[in-house]
Amino acid sequence: MFSYQKRLQYPINIKKKDLRMAKYLITQYGGSNGELAAALRYLNQRYTMPDNRGRALLSDIGTEELAHVEMISTMVYQLMKDATPDEIRAAGLDSHYAEHGKALYPTDANGVPFTVTYFATTGDPLADISEDMAAEQKARAVYENLIDLTTDPDVLGPLLWLRQREIVHYNRFKELFKYYQKNLKKGNNQFTSQPVDTDNNTMYNNMLLNQFQPNNNDKFM
Amino acid sequence: MYNYNFSENDWYKNISRNTNQTNMMPSLFTPEEGYNKGNLFANLYSQYKNYKPAVLTASNEKDRLFLNYAQNAFAAHELNLYLDLHPNDTSMITLFNDYREKADQLMKEYESKYGPLNISSNSLNQTPFVWEQETWPWEGGM
Repeated sequence: MFSYQKRLQYPINIKKKDLRMAKYLITQYGGSNGELAAALRYLNQRYTMPDNRGRALLSDIGTEELAHVEMISTMVYQLMKDATPDEIRAAGLDSHYAEHGKALYPTDANGVPFTVTYFATTGDPLADISEDMAAEQKARAVYENLIDLTTDPDVLGPLLWLRQREIVHYNRFKELFKYYQKNLKKGNNQFTSQPVDTDNNTMYNNMLLNQFQPNNNDKFM
Repeated sequence: MYNYNFSENDWYKNISRNTNQTNMMPSLFTPEEGYNKGNLFANLYSQYKNYKPAVLTASNEKDRLFLNYAQNAFAAHELNLYLDLHPNDTSMITLFNDYREKADQLMKEYESKYGPLNISSNSLNQTPFVWEQETWPWEGGM
């Protein structure tokens, strides 16, 4: 089951209203690469994972995505809450206001409502996990677009932080993908009799401080 | 509540390493640094353009205690995701339990002084019902 913890995963306290930014940012709530799609994607896919590693990772990351939904929602709410109808009209949020007032509603930056067709479940672990890897990459790219569109440190802090979470999640999914690729029999997705770990030594070679490159793009590949 | 100060320091000079481990041990940031960055794993950290992560600082005792809790809870969560895929990594399990216990203890201390974060908190044993009374996260609460 789920239980609510009455706190944000990372603190948010936006002091300056910015309706244009609210209009862009909402896509990480209800857009195709947003946090709601991520949470629903992982929490639906987890039931048909072939082992406990997959069940655990999708449950734990899916749950964290719900905390990110709350962070994005909080940001949009705080960016909008002191706005006047004139300001809302000027920022192009008037059609949102007509339907929803200042309430939260999951849409993308163009106002297109959220739809479950943004994600897939196939019952095939390799197909599902490779979608998850792509989803994390696309969300990272959108966070970078959003970072480019603001200079407010109260907005930048959480966006930089959320972008980093996409990178961590991507890498965890990549590890799981490699593990399944190595240990699931082609054709029936059954485990080989003695599943083996992927080589940690190779995986973590680049973690050694003396080999570490701050701008190593390999972590995206 | 918090000031987002952006660090000018070379963050990678502060990578903490567990010297008891072999070279196969991933190098980890401290909970404080990992929480600022949104990433506990030094090898996975990747800066966007020239944006430095915000450095969270608390201005009063309540925020300080909460921040300390949030940092340790984050570190435990990061190791949780790692351990889902590496369930036999004993040294990481030990570290996970260190952060988990510290977070749990700080959470209980916070709740006893400043009100509940969880509906299971002992701090709810009073009238009025403080779960409803304390500020909600999007209204400037935690």
